[in-house]
Formats: sequence, C-alpha cells, structure tokens
Amino acid sequence: MAFRITLLGGLAAVLLAILVFRLWALQIISGDEYLSDALNNQVRTARVDGPRGTILDVRGRVLVRNKPGTIVRFWPGDVLEDRRSGMLRRLSRLLDVPVRDIEAEIDRVEGDPLSPAIVRAFVPEVQADFLLEHQDEFPGVEVVETELREYPFGSLASHILGYVGEISREELERLDPDTYEPGDRIGKTGIEFRYDQFLRGDTGTEEVRVDALGQIVRTRRETEKPVPGNAIRLTIDAGVQRAAEDALRRGIARVRFEDNQLLANGGAVVAIDPRNGAIRAIASNPDFDPAIWVGRRDPDDIARLGSRFENSPGLNRAIEGLYPPGSAFKPVTALAALSERNATGTAPLLTTDELVQCPPFMLVRDRVFRNWQERNTAMTLERALAESCDTYFYNLGLRFFNLPPERGSPLQFWARRMGFGEFTGIDVGPESDGLLPTPEWRRRTGTTAVDKIWKPGDSVLLSIGQGFLLVTPLQMARFYAMLANGGRLVEPHLVRQVEQPGSEPGDPTVLRAFAPLEPHDIGLDPHAISVVRDGLFKATHEDYGTSTSTFRDYAIPIAGKTGTAEKFVELPKGALGLEQTYVGNQDQAWWCGYGPATAEDEAELAVCVVIENGGLGGRAAAPVALEVFEAYFGERAAEQPGTGDVRGLTD
Amino acid sequence: MATHPALVDTAAAPDSPRLSTRMLEILARLDYILLAAAAALVGFGLWIVGTITRDDIRGDPSFFLSRQALAAAVGAVVVAVLAGVNPNILRRLRMPFYAATIALLIGVLLTPEVRGTHRWIEVGSFNFQPSEFVKIMLAVVLAAFVANRAGAGVDFSTAAGAILLAVPPIVLVFVQPDLGTASLFVVGLVAVVFFGGASWRTLGSIAAVAVAVVAGLIWILPANDVDILRPYQVDRLSGFLDPSSDPSGSTYNVNQSITAIGSGGLTGRGSEDATQTSSFFLPEHATDFVFSSAAEQHGFVGALALLLLYAVVVWRGIRIISIAPSLFSALLAGALIASLICQVAINVGMTMGIAPVVGIPLPFVSYGGSSMVASLATIGVLMAIHVRGRMVS
Repeated sequence: MAFRITLLGGLAAVLLAILVFRLWALQIISGDEYLSDALNNQVRTARVDGPRGTILDVRGRVLVRNKPGTIVRFWPGDVLEDRRSGMLRRLSRLLDVPVRDIEAEIDRVEGDPLSPAIVRAFVPEVQADFLLEHQDEFPGVEVVETELREYPFGSLASHILGYVGEISREELERLDPDTYEPGDRIGKTGIEFRYDQFLRGDTGTEEVRVDALGQIVRTRRETEKPVPGNAIRLTIDAGVQRAAEDALRRGIARVRFEDNQLLANGGAVVAIDPRNGAIRAIASNPDFDPAIWVGRRDPDDIARLGSRFENSPGLNRAIEGLYPPGSAFKPVTALAALSERNATGTAPLLTTDELVQCPPFMLVRDRVFRNWQERNTAMTLERALAESCDTYFYNLGLRFFNLPPERGSPLQFWARRMGFGEFTGIDVGPESDGLLPTPEWRRRTGTTAVDKIWKPGDSVLLSIGQGFLLVTPLQMARFYAMLANGGRLVEPHLVRQVEQPGSEPGDPTVLRAFAPLEPHDIGLDPHAISVVRDGLFKATHEDYGTSTSTFRDYAIPIAGKTGTAEKFVELPKGALGLEQTYVGNQDQAWWCGYGPATAEDEAELAVCVVIENGGLGGRAAAPVALEVFEAYFGERAAEQPGTGDVRGLTD
Repeated sequence: MATHPALVDTAAAPDSPRLSTRMLEILARLDYILLAAAAALVGFGLWIVGTITRDDIRGDPSFFLSRQALAAAVGAVVVAVLAGVNPNILRRLRMPFYAATIALLIGVLLTPEVRGTHRWIEVGSFNFQPSEFVKIMLAVVLAAFVANRAGAGVDFSTAAGAILLAVPPIVLVFVQPDLGTASLFVVGLVAVVFFGGASWRTLGSIAAVAVAVVAGLIWILPANDVDILRPYQVDRLSGFLDPSSDPSGSTYNVNQSITAIGSGGLTGRGSEDATQTSSFFLPEHATDFVFSSAAEQHGFVGALALLLLYAVVVWRGIRIISIAPSLFSALLAGALIASLICQVAINVGMTMGIAPVVGIPLPFVSYGGSSMVASLATIGVLMAIHVRGRMVS
C-alpha cells in the first residue's frame, strides 16, 4: 500500500513537472511571440475621415457645414439576398424606415461592392446602441459615426452647392488612386464636386482594438492624424441670393395671380459683378432642399428633382436652362450692326445717328412681321432700344441677310464674340452652350430641302432674339455685364478663395485665391457701346421706356432691357393644376440690365431675370430684378456706414 | 504488502456525549495545511473569476462573482459538515448513494438539451450538475464495495465486480455526452482497485481491456459506421494531435488558449490588458479555460503559484490515504485524490495543448456552483478521514 501511495505521489509529481515545464516553455521561452500574436489578434487599423471643409458666402456666412451623426449602413455583399428579409424587417422596425426604401437603396448600390446602402442617417443613440449590442443578429449592418452635411440656410443656393456621396466604383477607376480610396465620401455635383480636392479632408488612420466579434472595445489610438478639409468662400452673397430667390418665387406667383392664362412655373436669376465676373446670386426656381441628399435618400425626393409635373426642380435653369431671349437680345443685334461694315465696305451697316423707320409691320417674302405696338415713325437706335421697336431690328436683320454671302454670318459672328452659342466657363456645371443658329447649322440639321435653307425670315427673327436662338440666363447676364463694363467679357465664377479651416470669418487665412481671367476686350467700338448703354438707360427712365415704371424712381441709376419671347411649350396634365396637357406658345419674360448706370466701369452689378411663361418682361421680370438690386445695394450701404440707407431713398 | 495500521477496519471512536467536546476534538485534528491550500485556491479562483467576468454582463460586473462567492460559501458549510461526519456513515449510505447516482444520471438525460448536452438539472434558479456529486458518491460506493470484499487484496472477481458497478454510471455520463467526467469516473475506479491491492496482473488485464475499449471507440467502430463518439469529440481528440490543423474550427479554442497563456509571460498582462480574455478571443474564459485566463493575467508566477497550491492539496491528500483509519476511507481518499490529480492535469494540460479538450472544470477555480461545491465536498470528505485517522493514531 505504501508503495502504491508513493507511486501515486510520483505520478502527481511527474504530471506537475510536465505542466510546469510546458508552462515555462509557453510563457518564458515563447512568451514574446505569443504576446505579439495576442496583440495582432485584436488590433485593426481603421480609417478616420478628416472633416469636410465648410462652404461660406462672400461675407463668411456658413452655407454648408458638418454635423456629427450616426449612420446605419448595410453592406449587401455580406449577406446573401435570400437570407436578408427577416433581418431587414427587424432593421426596418428598429429604425422606422420602410423595408421598401431599404431595398430601393440596396438596389441602387447593387453591383458595386465598395458602396454600402445607407439605411438611415442621424440615428438616435438608443437605436445605435441596440444595434451595437446585437451586432450578431444584424450581419452586414454597420453603425458608423460620421460627419454629415448640414445646410443652415435650407434650400438657399441648392442648385450650385451640390451634394456629397460615397465614392462609386466608376469614380475610383477614374480618379487618382493616391487621393481617393474605397469608402471615401466625395463631392458628386456642384461646388462639392468641382472643389472636392480642397473641401475633402485627408483621411487619417487609427488603431482600434477589437474583440473576437470585431467590435471595438478599447480606446482608439490615432496613428495618423486626419486633416480637415479647407473652407471654400464663394462669391455668392447669401443676402442677395436670398433676395433673388424670394423675389423670383414671388414674381412667378404674382404672374399667375394676375393672369391665369400665363402658365408661369419657373425661372432664373443671375446677378454678376461686371468688373470681374464674380457671381453674387444665382437662383433657379423651382428649387429643392439639398438635405435630401444627406444620408439615406428617399427615392421619391430624388425622382421629384426631374419630375415634369413639378417642372424639374433639380435643373439649374440659370446655367442649363435654354430660352429664346426675345428683345433682350436686341443690344446684340445693335452692336453687331454698328460694328459690321456695309456691303460695299464703305460705311458701317448702321451708324449711331441714323434714323431707321419703325413701321407697324414688315413684309418679308410675303410673310408679315409685326411690331408689338402700332407706330410708324423713324427713330434712332437709342429710342428703338428704349421702346423696343421690333420692326427697326427686323430692318437690321434684313441688312445682315443681304450682305454678300462671302461675308459669312456676321450677326452670328458678333453674337458669338459676345458669348452666345459658347460655354461661359463657369466653374460649376453642367452648363449649356445654347444654340446660335447659322445658315451652316440649318444645312446640317434641316430635314427637308426647304428646311435646309437659311431664309430672310431667319435673320429677321434672330435680330429680335427669336427663331431658333436659345440662350442661358448666365450668357445673357454675362453679355449685360459686358455692356456695363464697356465691352469686356468676364469669366463668370462662383468661388473666390480657399481658406484655412477654422479661420476667423472676418479675417481668414487665405490658402489660395482664384484670380479670374482678366475680362477680355472683344473689340467693339467704344462709341457704339455708349450709344447702346444710353438706349438701355432710356429704356428704364424715359416715358417710352419698357421698364421705366419699375426703375425710374429707384435711387441707383439702372439701365436695362426687357424681353418677351415666344416659346413653344408643352405642359403635362396635372402640372399647375392643368386639366389637360397644354401645348402652345407662351411668352418668356426677361429683364436684363445693370447699375449704377453712370459712367462705364462704375456698374457693380448686372442682373438678368427670366420667368418661364411669365408674359411681359417689363411686367413680370423687371420687378424681380429691382428687388435684387435693392438687396445688393442695401447690403452694400449697410456695410459702409456713412453712405446712408440707399433703400430708404426709394421709399 | 505490508500491513498498515490504518488498514485495520475498525469502527470509529464512539460518539462523544458532549457536542462541544467533540467539536474541539475535530477542530484539533483538522488538516489546516489542506484547509489553507483549498481556501487559497478558492480565494484565487474568486479573484480570477471576478476580474475576467467583469465585462461579460453589461451593467452587472459582479454577476458571476457573486454567484461564485455564494457557491463558495455553500461549499464552506459543506466542508464544515462533512469534516464532522464519520466516514463510516458514508460507507453505510453506499446503497442509497448508488441508487441516487443512477437516478440522477438518468434524470439528467431526461432534461432538455443545453448546447448539445444533458448535463444540468434545473433546481430553482440554479442549474445543478449531478455528475460532479456523482463523482464523490461513486467513489464511496466503489470504496465500500472493495473494502467489504477485500480481506487481503483485491482478486480478479472483486475487480470485475467493481467494474460492473462502475460501468452504468460511466456509460450514463458518457452519453450525456461528457467524456471528461466519464474519464474521471474511470480514474476513481482504477484508484480503488489499485489501492485495494489488486495484483499487477489483474491491473494489466484491466488496462488491456480499457485500451481495447478506447481503440474501439475512436477507430474501429467509426470505421464501421458505428459512431459512439460525437463528431466534435473525435475532432477534439484528433485536433489534439495536430493543433494547428484548423485554427478557427475545433482547435480554435486551444490555439487561443495557448496564445493567452504564452502572452502572459513571466508576470502577466494584468487584468486590464489581458485582451485574450477580456476581448472574448478565449472561449469559456471563466469555466473550462479559466487557467488560461489566470496565466494570461498573472503570468508564469501566478500560474505556477496556482499549480503549487494544487500540489499542496495533492500532497496532503496522498498523506491522508496513508493515515486513513480504515481500508474503506483509504480507498475513498485514494479515489478522490487520484481523480483530483487527473482532473487538474487534464484541465491544465488541455489549456496548454498537451491534453485533449474534454470539458472538465478546474476544481476550486472554474466558474460553476456544482463544481465548486463538489470540490469543497471532496475536501470535506478528506478532512473527515484525516480527523478520524488522527483520532485512531
């Protein structure tokens, strides 16, 4: 027995020795190795997004900033489609998002493994915590702390700001791989897109410790600091922009209130500094709330942006909308005629003191072209511009038509020099270049033999901005800015400078200032320009002027031209409460001009307004433009104490 | 074999007329070294379980600790009661014990499956694991059986009888399935037969049969499409032979456990930075793999201290076999202590990858009320034997 007891003791001693030896081998001999295994077990390198830069107006007011928020997103690649439904239903209940919407979002990112579907943004803490605690029940679902875009001014300038979204596979292939990587958020349109390289922050990295389930358990350690993006300061003045948008909205409503035959349903305003091309306000109506792009997108909201029934709120009419300019184009015809030589080359096609007949109508190849009013008198160019005599300009149109063919298309040549039929080069797209019709264009696009011929009627209509001619409000504003500054074409632009993030708004640290191209002289005779300017001043101040009633009493001298341009429109049944589809001609109301209209180069603002189906330009568009001038000069007066309240003088 | 005075199967000392006198007699004869070692193990265990389960239940850091402390308190009472019980009373209870063994093991098989096994019986809000207590009762039954029949050593028929007695409980535990506890029953059986004085030839025959049975279970029967072992049991046993074969599968636990132990180094990573444990890489970190947690947190120093405390318990336990007042109590102590040695060796060996993964807890330390109370009951029984042995001598 004693021997056997000793044997048991021996066995115990041997086992103990084995265990201790093994323990020693693991902990002392190979301890460091296992320690690094244990550390690697749980260290993950995660990316930290640098906060995106803010977008400021010209005075430093914040138009776009960041707001911290919790996003719940779903990586469709993580869960097979036939295993999702139960989980999505629970997710839908938890986050109060319809399953249909989640599925629509999943469909949107389908086929792009690098893009997660956003289930909901700004998720309350309680729900986010629940998801984190029950992560194993929600495979493929990720809770991310992020910064989302916020718009303190709501829909203000929504058409130019653009939006931010997850980088797509196509963008990853196209863009510099050193800068952009999967999971990045990137500007998709507008300022956010064009100036993404400045706005985007540099991604940093952090080490996070995760547990066996991949959940973060320990304090994060930043290994590479994220760099916040820079601020972008626009040329836009939020006050003027607000006034432009409000005036446009009211102007459209007023047209419909006053005349229910007019189907006014949209419009645009561009206000530009004629000295340098800085855009102070750029409005397009209808507009939208840019916050619909933040977080999960409601497919209905996005669809509404292109809805014909709502007249496509997503379209930026100021730079993409195409309209016939009507009489607002007459200064172009006038300048072209003053600049072009006649058939013999002995004199200009039109001289500044020449009297041209303004009859009630003209017959051109058996077709009647009427003036808008009953008159029959000869008049100067200034007067013809001021009272907007159509037949006067028909005459000029015929003079162009009758020039020898080897002279080409001089009216179009000069119009192109003044920026029509060309992109303005504004820094935010997409932009339309419009349509400047030429005989060559007719030949190319006409369908029948007759259709391919440029006829005298084409020149007649072009002279008053009708026919096939299509322009954007921005092209018009740029042209009037050229009149305002004495013949130099500006480069329209929206961004003034890049600033250090967190700079004092009043005294920012400028990292990069965008110097616009120096306005370039297009070679017009200065005297010709001054005559046209005089005509435009008379149009707003003489009794016979077409917008005198709006501008005569305003303290700041304004010069400008109305336009009432016929356009063939189709409106679907249901839009504007129409009981049936509308097909017919509607007048597009224009007013373009500038002020102060004193000497050349003193004008500070050129404004162009168009109201779709707005009827008479003098009645519908001019008052909108006045409100923009009032806002601009009012703000300017307010910031320069001692000059007095300009707005007060008009009351 | 030399006749040891303790092997004379005498009746215990007559009951004392006064309780307090008897208590003093018992107190004077307790094995305080054993008691201190066991208490130190329980204390060490509570400390470890407390730190490693702090984050397991959000908002209730002491959920597991308080339950474990309650079990330790119950166990302390059990030690106190059993220390005063004459081992002969246990011997007389062998038939009820055997009946209870069979009844409990059948009863537990009728309970609903929990994680693939039938190990627990629900009593109130506690889950009670009968096989832990059966381990002690079976030792009593087998020790009594052999002691009753062995005049001078165990002959082949006595050994066979003991085996026949032991087979039903072993099979019932095996089919729970609980391979680890079944093996411990086998160890208890072998210890009783061994200390009962079975000849080496008898022991050799038993060993041969055992090898044949094991071989049958692992290789021969499965090859003929008769699966006695569950697939995971085969995986664990074969995974033991090649631990790196399948890191996230059946050997995941062992590899994480080895990493945990190794990363502890000499002095450990402390309870805060022991990430293998606190970040849930180590499965069963408070139960079967508690040794790994302890080794990660407190390093070679702490793990060695733990093993040395077991060594003290084993040393005192083996000493108790030799001073046991009767053959029965010597066999009982032998069965209990042999099974304790094997349990510790298998559990710790398993965490270090040198023993197969069979789910048995580390006595005194692993979280689990049944294991804690049963481990302390073992100390109580050993203590009772020690007390009587000292009274005789």
